[in-house]
Amino acid sequence: MLKQFLVGLATLTAAGALLADAPIGYVKTVSGSATVTTADKVVKAEVGTPVFLGSVLQTGKSSSLGLTLKDETIMSFGSDTQLTVDEYLYAPAEGKLKLNSRLARGSLNYVSGVIAKLQPDAVTVKTPSGVIGVRGTQFLLKVDPE
Amino acid sequence: MNRAVGGATFRRGLMRGMGVLALAVSLFGCAGSGSYVVLVPSPDGSVGKVIVRGDKGEQLLDRSGQAADLDGRTVRASVDPQRLDRDFGEAIAAKPPLPLHRLLYFSTGTTLTAESETLLQAIVQEVNLRRSAEVSIIGHTDTLYTTEYNEKLALKRAARVAELLKGLGLRANSIEVDSHGKRNLLIQTPDNTYEPRNRRVEVSIR
Repeated sequence: MLKQFLVGLATLTAAGALLADAPIGYVKTVSGSATVTTADKVVKAEVGTPVFLGSVLQTGKSSSLGLTLKDETIMSFGSDTQLTVDEYLYAPAEGKLKLNSRLARGSLNYVSGVIAKLQPDAVTVKTPSGVIGVRGTQFLLKVDPE
Repeated sequence: MNRAVGGATFRRGLMRGMGVLALAVSLFGCAGSGSYVVLVPSPDGSVGKVIVRGDKGEQLLDRSGQAADLDGRTVRASVDPQRLDRDFGEAIAAKPPLPLHRLLYFSTGTTLTAESETLLQAIVQEVNLRRSAEVSIIGHTDTLYTTEYNEKLALKRAARVAELLKGLGLRANSIEVDSHGKRNLLIQTPDNTYEPRNRRVEVSIR
């Protein structure tokens, strides 16, 4: 049974490697219209849609989206929002920890996860006018289109 | 005539009032850009910190409800609740369920304690209640015997828990099984020490 399981796990890992990278998180809530764009491929966001390093998350009018990343960082967006995950490293055993994202416009509710807990200077959110450094907390962030 | 003077005084007073109001809005209302950040308590009730670095300066937020412009120019103690609701109501309502962590303990080898065995069904329910869940199952040991032995034993424990949860009907988007061996002790002990509280599997539900 264990052997079967390990073989299964190895197969899964190999399949993940073929897809370039494993998901860093998944969409958990959606209302209205929202998309996840990875390497120029646009996918309609649904509960369970995977999110990858470099994914662009977008919501339309009267829409919202929520996702949970592997390290338990939680982000949720209101209408007309665009966020890109630029850097994601979550390998605590090797001390590799980083989460940098970019909010181009819209509204965000952010609950920091394990990365911010283990390495307080490893988490940032960039905006067109300034950079937010996240030290283990929850915050609300709004970027108005100029 | 008196009425005219009274009217002028009233207008001057009104203009002064509007001037003060405009100043208040520019100082505390962030009316210009509409781009701002607000610190709120974490789900566990603690309040962390947010640092804003922009063209106009750097601000540290460390008290609940504090807000800052994204250019780092100003900080204010609070934002009008109605405005917060208007700006963030949708994003707050879209927040996914918080992750859960459950610990299961082992008596020897891959045998769960009787008490932990009774928790399995509740874990399956918690996972299945979610519309889409990822589950990570990480095995641990105490410090008796070698590193290699414990890496394998902890993986067997985690795999055993995965098998039991699946047998009870667990439905998850993904199940990840991993071993931390004796590298990640819950109770710190010297090497080669029996400690039942370290013989465990942690189930994390996202």
